[in-house]
Amino acid sequence: MIELTIDGKLIQAEKGSTILQIAKANNIKIPHLCWDRRLKPYGGCRLCLVEVEGQRKLLAACSTPAENGMVIKTDTPVLRKARKTVLELLLVHHPLDCPICDKAGECDLQDLAYQYGPSEGRFYAERKHDPEATSPLIERNPNRCILCGRCVRVCWEHQGVGAINLIGRGFNTKISPAFEETLDCEFCGQCVDACPVGALGTKPYKYRARAWFLESTDTICPYCSVGCTLTLDLREGKILRVRGMDGVGVNEGDLCGKGRFGFDFIYSEGRLTKPLLRKNGEFQEVDWEEALYYIAERLRDIKETHGPEKIGAIGSARTTLEDDIMLARFFREVLGSDNIDSSARLGYAWALKGMEDTLGIKSNPVSLNSPIGKEVVLVLESDITSTHPIFGLKFLEAMHEGTEVIVVDPRKTKLARRGNRWLRNRPGTITPFLYGITHLAMKEGVHLKKDITAEGLDELEDGLREYTPGKVSELTGIDEDLFREVALRFINAESRLLTLTLGAAENQKGLETIHAAANLLMLLGEGPEALQIPSDYSNTYGAWLAGLRPLSGGKDLYGMLYTPGSLKALYVMGEDPLVTMPDAGTIEENLKDLELLIVQDIRLSETGKLAHVVLPASSWAEKEGSFINSQGIRQMLPKVVSTTGDSIADWKIFRNIARVMGHDLGTVEFSQLKEEAGKIVPEEGTRKWRFIPPEWEGLARTTEEYPILMVTGNIMQHSGSLSVMSKSLSHVLSDAFVQISPEDAGRFRIGDGEFIEITSPKGTVYIKARVSDEIPEGMLFVPLHFAHARVNLLTEVSRDGKALLTPVRIGPRKGNGGSPAG
Amino acid sequence: MDKFLLRGIEEEGSAAIASYREKGGYAALEKALSMKPEEIIEEVKRSGLRGRGGAGFPTGMKWDFASRDPKFPKYLICNADEGEPGTFKDRPILEKNPHLLIEGMIISGHALKAEYGYIYLRGEYPGAKVVLEQAIEEAYKEGLLGDDILGKGIKFHLSVHQGAGAYICGEETALIDSIEGRRGQPRIKPPFPVNVGAWGMPTIVNNVETLSNLPLIVSIGGEKYAGIGNPECPGPKIYSVSCCVKKPGVYELPMGTTLREIIYTHAGGIRDDRPLKAVIPGGISTPVLTPDQIDCKMDFVNLPKVGSMLGSGAVMVFDDTVCLVRVCWRALRFFEHESCGKCVPCREGTGWLRNILERIENGFGRKGDIELLQDVAHSMAGKTFCPLGDGAANVVLSFIRQFHDEFEHHIEKKECMA
Repeated sequence: MIELTIDGKLIQAEKGSTILQIAKANNIKIPHLCWDRRLKPYGGCRLCLVEVEGQRKLLAACSTPAENGMVIKTDTPVLRKARKTVLELLLVHHPLDCPICDKAGECDLQDLAYQYGPSEGRFYAERKHDPEATSPLIERNPNRCILCGRCVRVCWEHQGVGAINLIGRGFNTKISPAFEETLDCEFCGQCVDACPVGALGTKPYKYRARAWFLESTDTICPYCSVGCTLTLDLREGKILRVRGMDGVGVNEGDLCGKGRFGFDFIYSEGRLTKPLLRKNGEFQEVDWEEALYYIAERLRDIKETHGPEKIGAIGSARTTLEDDIMLARFFREVLGSDNIDSSARLGYAWALKGMEDTLGIKSNPVSLNSPIGKEVVLVLESDITSTHPIFGLKFLEAMHEGTEVIVVDPRKTKLARRGNRWLRNRPGTITPFLYGITHLAMKEGVHLKKDITAEGLDELEDGLREYTPGKVSELTGIDEDLFREVALRFINAESRLLTLTLGAAENQKGLETIHAAANLLMLLGEGPEALQIPSDYSNTYGAWLAGLRPLSGGKDLYGMLYTPGSLKALYVMGEDPLVTMPDAGTIEENLKDLELLIVQDIRLSETGKLAHVVLPASSWAEKEGSFINSQGIRQMLPKVVSTTGDSIADWKIFRNIARVMGHDLGTVEFSQLKEEAGKIVPEEGTRKWRFIPPEWEGLARTTEEYPILMVTGNIMQHSGSLSVMSKSLSHVLSDAFVQISPEDAGRFRIGDGEFIEITSPKGTVYIKARVSDEIPEGMLFVPLHFAHARVNLLTEVSRDGKALLTPVRIGPRKGNGGSPAG
Repeated sequence: MDKFLLRGIEEEGSAAIASYREKGGYAALEKALSMKPEEIIEEVKRSGLRGRGGAGFPTGMKWDFASRDPKFPKYLICNADEGEPGTFKDRPILEKNPHLLIEGMIISGHALKAEYGYIYLRGEYPGAKVVLEQAIEEAYKEGLLGDDILGKGIKFHLSVHQGAGAYICGEETALIDSIEGRRGQPRIKPPFPVNVGAWGMPTIVNNVETLSNLPLIVSIGGEKYAGIGNPECPGPKIYSVSCCVKKPGVYELPMGTTLREIIYTHAGGIRDDRPLKAVIPGGISTPVLTPDQIDCKMDFVNLPKVGSMLGSGAVMVFDDTVCLVRVCWRALRFFEHESCGKCVPCREGTGWLRNILERIENGFGRKGDIELLQDVAHSMAGKTFCPLGDGAANVVLSFIRQFHDEFEHHIEKKECMA
């Protein structure tokens, strides 16, 4: 601790802090334009100059470390003069187009100019007249730029992208993508929030409102499970933009493109406004009464004729906890059926099971800051910066602070590019990779030194004997010496972390992978904190805890969707199995056999098109509720906008059907539900450790007929099938594509942008090719967000949480000789 | 005094290693390699050598900081980004006596336990690049560079990195950024390069002339070296003299030679024997002096006493035909062009100073412009990120201070006094 005086106030502070940091912590305001909490000090704007006793020169508070005994003054005539001159110089060429600038009213330069008084206008000059630069979502007005460099630095230092830089020198410096091309980046929009003036703005918000007319409300992002706080800015009841507020929420102000731009899915033209009832094979809009009576009658019939075990429900990972509770109650209390499940079954459920089997825990909340301060972090076949962008940023932050981030992935993901090391393994070989490290750890005798014992240790040792570095190298395709070096680095680190995602489309990782990871960590004496597996979507974890899973022997998702004849009636809430789940062909057949398919959603989904009844649900922001994020934190969502058409909240629909069916669920109001949801807490478990011996099935087999492995997954700009409803996100990317390695493209004579034919034993689809070195030879990567691509027709379902690698064959689309197809 | 730095450069083929050896070259290296690194640093401290790049920082002290840092590898960078108007003192070493620099760098590398050296060469010195690369090749061939120098088990590799034409890259942290492949912009100090420099490692950046003094210090010893010139900042010094003198050129003289001696004895006096009007003693960024100040000794100690600085020792002499408003405007055009743009006062300030000077020079000056120039310059001096902005402000302030009437005349009469 050091002691110093700022403006006559005696302050104690941590050694190593800068003067500005200490001033901020003590509520002493020093003006600044180029400083950003997340970035290294830059010292460019020279507004934060302060006087330090005994120093001849004025010092920049942002970049001067505070020292014991310093006597600092932050507001003196000399400083005011210096700051005023800086502002005067900036305003000489800054266009005073505040009346048409979207930043007006919340512009740092405007506020500072106001604070320091008008300049005398002693300089006269031509202002800059550079044309505005536009891109799908972000607009740049170079004339307003004050060259503080925050956008450049947030993009590179914080976001790890580096899409823009300062080009040119001195007065002629400008900020631009390389070669002044159109901005083509992640479109996270972090630069827009970082810009202190109106040089950067978002296209959807341009000329939409004056800042002072906006009303702001905080809510939780509907996309991934990080659960970022979004600040919604509304005018006349409509959300116009989303911002991250410095220090607010688990994200502390950071946002990804989905969070920032994806909110407009609620204004999508495809929103359902009325219930649809199939009459003579065609959908007809009906009122709620007709729809509810129809449903009540049909459900009653089927229950009486076939029994409740023939009725099932698939819930959603994105509806609120309160919606999920009511779905579960309706099924269990009114219909008497335990056939309830959600998409968690295809991934996260197996992560939970795996951790219970080994670590003896029933839940393992993620900690966003877990990578920071660790010596080594292993990221396993997981594109975290795409699936959980804000969690992904923490890996970059950890790296800046000295953590070694090692990525094992066949795909050249952002973390693979930015991390300290990247090992390109053969797809689907993470499990033997983990076995190999565990084998080495045992040989090193780490567990003996730490006195680790638990059930199954001997069997584990026996089973791992064959996974020598040589063998692992053979299986994974990673160089043996490199593997050994990385393995020993991980084993011998002081602190470590292992992270992976396990979603419905997350490469070939499943129960056995979780077992293998837990085995390794237990052997090294690490607890569950060293294993970070985030749940998929905003409320995947909440749905699980709310009981959207069989609790007393009911059918699970496999039993309902993939087993012919297992159900007569299916209720699907907020999920589109035909798009997001593997082996869509089988699902489609089974759905078509149903006597009753009820789909409740915010739009007419692909699954909805097969339904007998479609019910319009209110979306995120149109209803109150809560999500449980991957940290296990329940966060409340207010109702922000009015509902669309006749849609109502999911939970209310269940209450109403129950009423129509003459079943009293009690007078259900939101306040009661909220209270009930508040009682949900993650289960603990015994915490008794157990080692599980190796159970890996071997490499995914390609054959002569199907020589290439297809992997499905999520990409940066989209998340499941929800984000494709967003107009903004679709501006960036709206068409399906398949990534193919340059080697395979050459081998199969496929050009960039051409349609290719992909065939698996299950069927054939046609998708546009993108030739990319992000993908190794022998692999295809297909995002599964786009319904029109029907990728899941090709895939198969596994019953242990794996997204199987699909052996396929490819070729140019027939009939057009491989030329770009219309 | 015998010339040391520029010895024999008039001779044809002076850059060749054979010619250098004839003059006793590389004898100091052999001596240095038999010394312990600490002993060399001790000799440098004893010699009182101060950095010749402009700031005059004691070289021994800088080396001491760097050698105390436990991190390795350490890098040695020779700052050959000589780019300030009027400065061409390093050029004859680079082009005519490259082995002196190379020998100095090998000795320094040994003293600092740095195994890699770079010569950051000004982009506009393409000729020097050819010469240096040739010389480095020769040195490698003769076992003077490499993994095992002269069989003494000492490793030192050297290469030339050519700049792309930015004055700011002469600032050591911007230079390091440039070597790392980034946009050349000064970094925040502390940490200083001696602790956190190129690629985050301890890095010693020394000027060409500084490093070229090493063979002399090693061969005659620090104590004897300290007897050359002004004892407070001893050694030989290269002064580059330009503008209105009869014999512009480079002159190696003992540190502390008076400005009068340099101009009138060595450079042959003023062109056409006209009266002297002004002298810039150390490169364009150092404050201008008037004729009554030329008895000042040209060193790091005495020039500050008359309100200027030694800088690079680039003497620019102006006679009564020169318009000093024009010189000042021309200087600011340089600073505006070379400002990196990182900090506001320098980026915007240099442009505005130039703008106002331009209108005065062109006969459109307004009443109050002098005060305005001073006000802007005061708002820059000491408030910019790096010394480039200070330099620009000081030029304006010193010209106005010393030649106020010329500026006034320009504004009032719309014409030049000269």
